[in-house]
Amino acid sequence: MLEIKNVSKIYGEGTAQVVALNNVFLQVNKGDFLAVMGPSGSGKSTLLNIIGGLDNLSSGEVILEGKRIDNLDENALVAIRRGKIAYVFQQYHLLPSLSALENVLLPLTFCGASRERNKAVEMLKKVGLEKRAEHKPSELSGGEQQRVAIARALVSDPSLILADEPTGNMDQKTGRQILSLFDELNTDGHTVIMVTHNPETARHAREIIVLQDGQILDKTGRR
Amino acid sequence: MKLYQIVIKDILRRKRRVLYAAMGVVVGTMTVIGILTIAFAGEARIYNQLEKYGPNLTVIPAISNLDMRLGDLSLGTLTVGENFISEKTLPEIRQIADGEIRQALGIKDDGNIATIAPKLYINTELKGISVMVVGVDPLEEQKIKTWWRIQEGEYLQLADQALAGPVAAELLGLNIGDKIALNGNDVTVAGILDESGSSDDYQVFVPIITLQKAFDKQGLVSSIDIRALCIACPVEVIADGINSSIPGVRAVAVKQVAAAEMDMMDKVNKFMLALAGITLVVGLFAVINTMMASVNERIKDIGIMRAVGASRNQIIKIFVYEAVIIGIVGGIFGYITGTLLAYIVGPLIFEGIAITYIPQYLPLSLTLATLIAVAATVYPAFQATRIKVADSFRAL
Repeated sequence: MLEIKNVSKIYGEGTAQVVALNNVFLQVNKGDFLAVMGPSGSGKSTLLNIIGGLDNLSSGEVILEGKRIDNLDENALVAIRRGKIAYVFQQYHLLPSLSALENVLLPLTFCGASRERNKAVEMLKKVGLEKRAEHKPSELSGGEQQRVAIARALVSDPSLILADEPTGNMDQKTGRQILSLFDELNTDGHTVIMVTHNPETARHAREIIVLQDGQILDKTGRR
Repeated sequence: MKLYQIVIKDILRRKRRVLYAAMGVVVGTMTVIGILTIAFAGEARIYNQLEKYGPNLTVIPAISNLDMRLGDLSLGTLTVGENFISEKTLPEIRQIADGEIRQALGIKDDGNIATIAPKLYINTELKGISVMVVGVDPLEEQKIKTWWRIQEGEYLQLADQALAGPVAAELLGLNIGDKIALNGNDVTVAGILDESGSSDDYQVFVPIITLQKAFDKQGLVSSIDIRALCIACPVEVIADGINSSIPGVRAVAVKQVAAAEMDMMDKVNKFMLALAGITLVVGLFAVINTMMASVNERIKDIGIMRAVGASRNQIIKIFVYEAVIIGIVGGIFGYITGTLLAYIVGPLIFEGIAITYIPQYLPLSLTLATLIAVAATVYPAFQATRIKVADSFRAL
């Protein structure tokens, strides 16, 4: 479902140039759970941002469900973010002024389906937070905030979920709860790409790739 | 949940920030509303003064006084022409006066505009004393002599009533209800005027029809006062129009002492409005500054909203909604503080000015404030949507 062909990303110009990604090839099939590992600065977050259209690439192609998405204009990208791709961030990235439920409702609000409140409630139930629906992010723990963020990602029925260090800010126990939630999502048929530097975390994935200096080192099946 | 609900929740979380942004809007609108309120009161005061000057035009018979001279020797003057104007000229005079005013002010409706008050002066003897009796059109005369106050009795209501000036009443020993004979026709004294310090004090006023009948002057008047009270009223043009199209009369534009003051007022108003404009522009920059700061501190939030599917237009809408709320809050406070400013500063600028709050300025204030806030918001909001989502997360 996702194909990455010869993708490079170069930051800066002239002598200050930094190569974040160097001719990366990658293929992800529907239903995959892929972990992208590597030390910090290896380009793994950049890869995720490029896949999701949050950042633009210097050269190469990103093909999602048979269509190139690396050269799309803003409006087409908006359409992709509204149904095909959803994100889960290390920093949760919830809006502080909205309650947990309202944060989950946010994607529906933007695509004009704000009346589907039940769907948001259902997603909160799925991540086990229905009782905290009216709480603001500041009143929730890190693990709870991340579960709200996962519910927000799920509410628009995305075909691909991108997770950037989703357990990076958590203790082990909370992290394990979040990861088992990802396992569940993958079992439900969601395609997941997760960036992590933690081998323990990566073990939840079906497949692991390792990035170093912007290049893929190894590709082995697991589990 | 709707977009505006996101905005309201966000504003409630950042109350102080939003109030701070509204301050710039308040300062701008406050100055404009304050100055407009003072200017309005100043103009009203001059209008009041203008009213005291009575007619702006007087039409009199075209009598020519020819100086008879023989070398250096003056042989006196010779009066040529009629002493009266025919009443038939009245409709034509009204047509010219109203027509010119309509043209000058762009008025469409066809009611009467100018006050036109004909008069007939008859010098006669009452109780053996020589008195000037003036025939007037009671309703029109009252509109011209706005300063007339009745000391005793009532104003002219019926054809056989008379209104006496205070000095005339004293000289003739007149009381309310007394009858006086005008060439054999009796009229009843209905009222006595308050002292005004003008020649009115020495005269006796009766309805013009009564006087015309009594002295056999049907259809004749001695002079006509015209009042067209407006700053832009083309008094000179009306006078020229009457002089060129009605024979046998002469229209004279009465010198307006107040007109000069009105002109001065106009200049002061323009100067103050220019100042208000500058303040508005300065306020605009202040608002742009705070709105830019407000947008910048929410670069991350903008990134979040875009990552979950907000379009550029929706982001801009969110900021415009916020600007509208800031504009409304700023407009209300701007109106209140502007009016208060007028109450405090107005009397320092114009002596004896009576400041009143003007409700019509509230919508003006709201519109102005909203325009400022929206204008100051759209550009930074638009800029914010051009940042790549990934960069917006890195911003903080």
